[in-house]
Amino acid sequence: MKTAPSVSGYSLAFATPLAGWFALFFLAPLAVLVAISFYADPLLSHVGFDQYKKIATDGFSLPVLADTLWLGVQVTLLCLVLGYALSWSYVRSPAALQKVLMLVIVMPLLTSVVVRTFAWVVILGRQGIVNTVFQGLGWIDTPMKLLYTRGGLIVALANVQLPLMALPLITALQKLDPNLEDASSALGASAFRTFFKITLPLTLPGIVAGCLLTFAATITAFISQSLIGGGQMLFMPMYIYQQASALQNWPFAAAISLVFLVAVLACVALFNQLGRMSRGHAAG
Amino acid sequence: MDATRRHLLGSALTLSALQLFPGLTHAQARKLVFATFTGSWEEAHRDVLVPAFKKASGQDMLLDAMLSVDQIAKVTAARNNPPIDVMLHDPGPALTAIAQDLVEPFPVAGSKNYKDLIPEAQDPMGPSMFFQVVGLTYNPDKIKTPPTSWGDLFKPEYKGRVGMTNLNSTLGTGFLVELARMHGGSEANVEPGFKAIETLKPNLAAVAANPGALAALYQQGQIDISPGNFNAIQILKARGVPVEFVAPKEGAIAFKTSIHIVKNSPNKALAAQLIDIAISPEVQTRLMQAPYLVVPTNGKVKMEGEIAKVLAKDTADLKKKFVFQDWKKINEQRAAWIDRFNKEIKV
Repeated sequence: MKTAPSVSGYSLAFATPLAGWFALFFLAPLAVLVAISFYADPLLSHVGFDQYKKIATDGFSLPVLADTLWLGVQVTLLCLVLGYALSWSYVRSPAALQKVLMLVIVMPLLTSVVVRTFAWVVILGRQGIVNTVFQGLGWIDTPMKLLYTRGGLIVALANVQLPLMALPLITALQKLDPNLEDASSALGASAFRTFFKITLPLTLPGIVAGCLLTFAATITAFISQSLIGGGQMLFMPMYIYQQASALQNWPFAAAISLVFLVAVLACVALFNQLGRMSRGHAAG
Repeated sequence: MDATRRHLLGSALTLSALQLFPGLTHAQARKLVFATFTGSWEEAHRDVLVPAFKKASGQDMLLDAMLSVDQIAKVTAARNNPPIDVMLHDPGPALTAIAQDLVEPFPVAGSKNYKDLIPEAQDPMGPSMFFQVVGLTYNPDKIKTPPTSWGDLFKPEYKGRVGMTNLNSTLGTGFLVELARMHGGSEANVEPGFKAIETLKPNLAAVAANPGALAALYQQGQIDISPGNFNAIQILKARGVPVEFVAPKEGAIAFKTSIHIVKNSPNKALAAQLIDIAISPEVQTRLMQAPYLVVPTNGKVKMEGEIAKVLAKDTADLKKKFVFQDWKKINEQRAAWIDRFNKEIKV
């Protein structure tokens, strides 16, 4: 007699179409990328570890990698501060205001990244909104250089990636039982203590998810990095593009792509590990 | 039952794959494909070149606009059955394509117009279809006396107002070489060019990541003067942005934009015919007129309008005023220059 299939069980068979799709359009190209990275010259005639040797020893590629990851950390931290405050006010707003706020939060996602980035070029330019207002108020005499600076880039990227931070945080804050915070303050904890002992640990999954998304989107934001950062800043996406496109040096481009990929995966693993550790801490 | 269903599914998948990749079945019988450049180049070629080809050959053709580097990538990925028949290249990528054995020689003997090309444009591996010209661009609202020399970029009064691009682009690399030449260097020795960029630094308001981004900076008032591409500036001007182009007295840098038959193309004869039409005086005359303003390579074309006014009155004048760079030499060291530029220009 056949046993009825379990209702809550799952069959891996349902995942095969997606798995096939991934194998064909993700794993196969990735394998090609790995293969290309082991060629020693742009004409793909000799095999060797030359590209990886070059990355390790040229004294330039690794600093670019570190700088890209550092940019990711800076933007993620700014997004976390702004996003947490935003999500906090969203969750505590009346329903009507929430609808407006949600529209404002997702608006950046609904606009093309090129349009958003050009908007920032308009805001930060020499005759942009910031400089015009400051000059009008008499705070500055000559326009400040904002576009093509790291500060400008961080602010613009934080704006572009903010929804990726705010949305998981809102979900996490909504799931938080308000009674817990009430109980904490009824038992005499200050608002500060309640936040750090109750709210923050319980919303940690949201923080980890938001940080991961923001970090990953920031370090790979080719368009924003090149249009707002300009040609005097070099981050990994532009570096890869330059080697692959302008120089047709596919082996080196493939090798730095893979090193970048591994570095990002390591950061993601680290994030996840931190999240798991602190969750254990909160529960225990 | 099960087997038939699987069979059906199999056929359905095959059919949809054919739908997705029509090239699988029609490789031998497709229309001629010309990979032109995006933007205004594509518009100009759609308006002028495609109808001229249709009239001469009675055949339809397709334009598939993409960057040079993408053309090379696509042809490299399918050398035996390339999806493109005719490629269009800046000088750097053209040499790469030839070195990687992706192009076929143009049958010069059968060409009506090849002999009329000015000598700089003649190359059997890919004759030049037009020139791109780089000179000085400035904002006439902010800079009242028009600049006359590359040296003007270094004037102290332009502190924080000069723009340039990095070396990824033909424009940026060409500019570096020109600076080197001005200070006693050459394509083989750009050391003086790098030194010049070092002294240009206080004036630099922006090093854009690409020529398109550089042009956009005029609209923001971020820069008031920079090296610029003649055709890109005409587009901005037409949109009402206050920009002007002047050819510096050292000569405007001219880049050959060459047109090539792709190796193993199934439409070789048509490809050669298209190239012959592209270098014909009729097509080049029309392309030279407004709104296209494409600089011709055929000596029989009589210069008119904006091109005659700003660039060159005739072929003799063109030879005097244009500077051609040796991209074979440039390509040899370009990777090292890009690495060095990355390091030295970083903030």
